[in-house]
Amino acid sequence: MRDSISIARLGIPAVALVTEEFWPQGDFFATSSGMPEVPRVKLPHPVAGTGEDKMAEVASDITPSIVELLSS
Amino acid sequence: MSLLDAASEHDALELLHDLDCTDGLPVVIPTADRVARMVLATGYEPDLVLGEMGPMHGAATVDKVATAAVMAGCTPDHVPVVVAAVRAICQPEFDLTEMQATTHCTAPLMIVCGPARHACGEIASGFGALGPGHRANASIGRALRLAMINIGGARPGSSDMALHGHPGKFTYCIAEDEENSPFPGLHTTLGYEPEQSAVVITGAEAPHSTFFTGDRDDPNSAESLLNVIAMVMANPGSNNVHLREGAITVIMNPDHTEVIRRAGLTREDVQEELAKRATISVGTMRRINPMLFMQGINADDKSRFSDAADEDLIHVLKDPSRILVLQAGGSGLYTMVMPSWCAGPHRNAIVHSEIELDQACEIPGMTL
Repeated sequence: MRDSISIARLGIPAVALVTEEFWPQGDFFATSSGMPEVPRVKLPHPVAGTGEDKMAEVASDITPSIVELLSS
Repeated sequence: MSLLDAASEHDALELLHDLDCTDGLPVVIPTADRVARMVLATGYEPDLVLGEMGPMHGAATVDKVATAAVMAGCTPDHVPVVVAAVRAICQPEFDLTEMQATTHCTAPLMIVCGPARHACGEIASGFGALGPGHRANASIGRALRLAMINIGGARPGSSDMALHGHPGKFTYCIAEDEENSPFPGLHTTLGYEPEQSAVVITGAEAPHSTFFTGDRDDPNSAESLLNVIAMVMANPGSNNVHLREGAITVIMNPDHTEVIRRAGLTREDVQEELAKRATISVGTMRRINPMLFMQGINADDKSRFSDAADEDLIHVLKDPSRILVLQAGGSGLYTMVMPSWCAGPHRNAIVHSEIELDQACEIPGMTL
């Protein structure tokens, strides 16, 4: 989340990928960092260690949202 | 600072609990009068900013820090240590924002060195110093935590994402047993004069007990002691083994430092020897965490270890100065080893700040 905020501050389009368990923390960081609207996409939790097939499925599911946010 | 209204101290406590302003235990109600008296004890203006505390990026003003000290049950004697601790953890090298937000259990371990150990309420360094029953240790460490909660905004499950936490997140403060130690004051190795006082802070796991029974007739006792401590430092489940950048604290009891003294070893010798001995084999790493290890959790791991033999050894810490070695605790069989988180941009740097003992203003009706 902080990486995304730091990149956005540089004027570079950024989208944070945040798992559902960490979604409230993402909101907290975005607000406390002064960028409550920083773009973010929700992922299932967990992602790490779930295997290549599952990760490919998650990537496939969220890619349109990422493209849409970067294009808006 | 904003003021809350409550009809009684009981109601005020319930309100503070409801607002998530406590650590879950009852606190002393920080009335305006109590906070003002604690501010006087700091010797600073109430709006002086000691630093910024993430992840909420709250300004750690003296009056807010004094509020935390009141809530924690500190006496005015304790507050110079709390002020120094806040200054220390607000240094950018401590990565407070990341540390508060991580899933790791890390908590700031405060090591108090120099005359402040006695001047600030007799901070315990002997039997059970990390446990209950020592007011100064309990209150000072708790004040820092309450500042991290209320100024830094760390709340479990929403901004503090530690999966389990550990009991040191309530309070984690110990004094160095300088008078009985064969080592010079830890603060002097960090550039302070012996007559100065300092708090040294590192993000640490809970203590890992390390059993060793010395034998005065065994000329290799020091060797054996260093080996067992190094083995605990190289615990294959710790972040230190995987990230190899953090700090490790080694708190030796007087019997163990006596073994070191008899062997003629200095603190620097112990640091060097532990850094040399705390190793884990490439084969073990391949077995316990093949994905992370082989893909390279550290940038250079993949190239360094892809062709390494299973029996090749990896050093847990490259820099011996990142092993904090000190004496504390009662006489007996156990040394405590505290591994660390090792992450954040500065990889769990050790920070420190001078404890200023001559700043306090006279508090009406109270002798400091």
